[in-house]
Amino acid sequence: MKKQALVLTLLLALALLLGACGPATTTTTASPDETPAGSTAPPDSQDKATEPAPAGDKVIKIGVFQPTTGENGGGGFQELLGTRYGNEKIPTVEINGETYKIELVEVDNKSDRTEAPIAAQSLISSNVSVIIGSYGSAVSIAGGEIFKDAKVAAIAPSATNPQVTRDNDFYFRVCFLDPFQGTVMAAFAREEGAEKAAVITQLGDDYSSGLGNFFLKAFKDAGGEIVADEKFQTNQTDFKAILTNVKAAEPDVIFAPSSITTAPLLIQQARELGIEAKIMAGDTWENQSIVDNAREHAEGVSISTFFDENDVSNTAAKDFVVGFKEFLNGNPEYLSKNGGDGVAAVSALGYDAYCVAVEAIKKANSTDPVAIRDALVTLDYADGVTGAISFDENGDAKKDMAYIKVVEDGAFKFLKTVKVGD
Amino acid sequence: MKKNFPASVRLTLSLIAAVGVFFLLFWLEGQRTEQGMLISILQKSVILSIAAVSMNLLTGFTGLFSLGQAGFMAIGAYVTGLIAMPVSSVDNVFYVSGMADGLRSFKESLSVLPTPLLITLALLAGGLIAAIFAALVGIPVLRLKSDYLAIATLGFSEIVRAIIAAPQLDRITNGSYGLKAIPGFDSGGGRGSLLIPFGVAVACITFIVLLIRSSYGRAFKAIREDEIAAEAMGIGLFKHKQLAFIISSFFTAISGGLLAMFMRSIDARAFQVTLTYDILLIVVIGGIGSITGSIVGAFLVTFAKEWWLRFFDQPLVINGFKVPLLRTGFRMVVFSIFLMLIVLFYRKGLMGNREFSWYRLLSWPARIGRRKKSLPSGDEEALK
Repeated sequence: MKKQALVLTLLLALALLLGACGPATTTTTASPDETPAGSTAPPDSQDKATEPAPAGDKVIKIGVFQPTTGENGGGGFQELLGTRYGNEKIPTVEINGETYKIELVEVDNKSDRTEAPIAAQSLISSNVSVIIGSYGSAVSIAGGEIFKDAKVAAIAPSATNPQVTRDNDFYFRVCFLDPFQGTVMAAFAREEGAEKAAVITQLGDDYSSGLGNFFLKAFKDAGGEIVADEKFQTNQTDFKAILTNVKAAEPDVIFAPSSITTAPLLIQQARELGIEAKIMAGDTWENQSIVDNAREHAEGVSISTFFDENDVSNTAAKDFVVGFKEFLNGNPEYLSKNGGDGVAAVSALGYDAYCVAVEAIKKANSTDPVAIRDALVTLDYADGVTGAISFDENGDAKKDMAYIKVVEDGAFKFLKTVKVGD
Repeated sequence: MKKNFPASVRLTLSLIAAVGVFFLLFWLEGQRTEQGMLISILQKSVILSIAAVSMNLLTGFTGLFSLGQAGFMAIGAYVTGLIAMPVSSVDNVFYVSGMADGLRSFKESLSVLPTPLLITLALLAGGLIAAIFAALVGIPVLRLKSDYLAIATLGFSEIVRAIIAAPQLDRITNGSYGLKAIPGFDSGGGRGSLLIPFGVAVACITFIVLLIRSSYGRAFKAIREDEIAAEAMGIGLFKHKQLAFIISSFFTAISGGLLAMFMRSIDARAFQVTLTYDILLIVVIGGIGSITGSIVGAFLVTFAKEWWLRFFDQPLVINGFKVPLLRTGFRMVVFSIFLMLIVLFYRKGLMGNREFSWYRLLSWPARIGRRKKSLPSGDEEALK
């Protein structure tokens, strides 16, 4: 009897808790009778946009489909920060002469492909007009099918895998693609005088395997030789076995695109085994935590990325860097999660994706997702922080330049830009 | 003797319920735009319920504790995905190494079939291939008992995952890049997004229920209770264990195939051990040895995890007071606390080893009332 009483008490307590938090659910799952166009804001909306809505109570919703937990949680959060900053900077948009408040509906896809479809569906159920996301190609691909069915356009800030936009008229991206990135890194490796390269990729990860593969092809085409092609399992923490093979093959350069969590382990263990070869990777590695965790071993690691905060040639970028640093310093949580006030390329892309979304809404002059999608197709956005953005027939941004950065004294230093002609 | 209604009453009630559910699903299907979230969660729930029921067949009814579910689901998902994927998308999906010529011509010869038939065939093929694997693996593995069996099957499922992602199979499974463009449930004419998975689930679960009620089922239960006694009664241990293992794997693979159709794009990482644990969780919460429990558990866990608890991930401000702890990821903490509560207070799961019965359901309010009466009567008097 006592036990049942306890259970009942607990249940009641939970029911109370649920009841108390009840109204919050309306912000995530809008009631079904709301039409996508011009739904009114729930009274207790969000605390995300810190300032109150300047005018009117019309709301347009932008979905943010990002991993903030799981394998790619760190990078996803940085990208999300860029989008949140964008929302703070441009909190409203004019549609048909009326001011709409832009509300971000954020959902965590947990870096997990099985979770992604329902996370994506929850955005669709919230009647978002356009979607930004996701960090990580696999979850973007998984969500893409849902967005396509629901006819809502999605803009990927940093998903570089070609599959994301292929066969999907509703997916766009503001960054370059893996084939391009692989070519850039191969060209860079050859310029540095590398003859023999080793490739280390993560099994079952389309970003890592795809990029590794494109590098491999490009490096061979550029006259280099691939001496080792090693793979490791997801969540593996000991790389001694494959690194021993790599060491025996005596490469000049190791190309090892992988997730942020595995990178420091890989770098450290390679250096501990006495491998002197230059280590290179793709855009994911541009994360301060890698350098912090691998410490002195990370010196000399080179990566390709989308953006450089010290690039003074682009005025939009200059303004963004100043504003974004202020934004970061204004919130200790953001600052600690970002690992200092460095501006990551994915944050810039998250911001660019947001701006492109807003531009498309303006151009479509409507909250209708299909109209916004049509506006994206022909959009020409010149003020991008990471360069001018317009889309080709696949929905990929036409970009022909990558930034190479190298780790020096515990920080990423800009080395040079590499352009690849078509 | 269990109390129950006469058979005719039960049948009528069940029929009414079935027709009601059918029309509800049919109506929901048409509300795709408004009820998308509900539809997705129902789909996932019903798919997991097949996997949970087939796991229960092994764990709850035959007493074989197997953890190979994710592996069999992966086999089912990949076979279904490969067969059901339209030939026109092949080049886009296999963008790295291309598809093996033999497989491609096999797919081309199949492409004359209409989509619904192709998908049925794909699901069945997935189930059959998984069953063949189960038969082969079962020979050495089923000689093991309890924990050892669990570890061996766990190993098997990891091997399956590793093989699927192996670069040597790039031209067949697309290795690390996964499959994409798998047709969804409503690809054959816009409807069926709920009726198809529910229909398949009803067929699978009915088969398992009938099996459990047959003489085979009684033999399974005898093995569960005491292997030696069962053998002494003339039950072929190995034969029956093998049978349960193969049938369970077949249906697990079917649910894997449905999962592939639900996700639309799959890769090997989707079939990690955590998937097995999710299913085990459902079985334990529902009650080991109860089919109804597994079904209820699947719906409850999926709804709680994906929907009801989602608001815990959103920051919330009431009258300017920011409610602490509410942030992304907090949902999973709450979910875990729920699980602990269930395991602590309902040690046998929600249903124990009982099955659904109209009598119990309809007499539930009465039973609660009776329980109240057995309380010291003073309280009741005071209330009046």
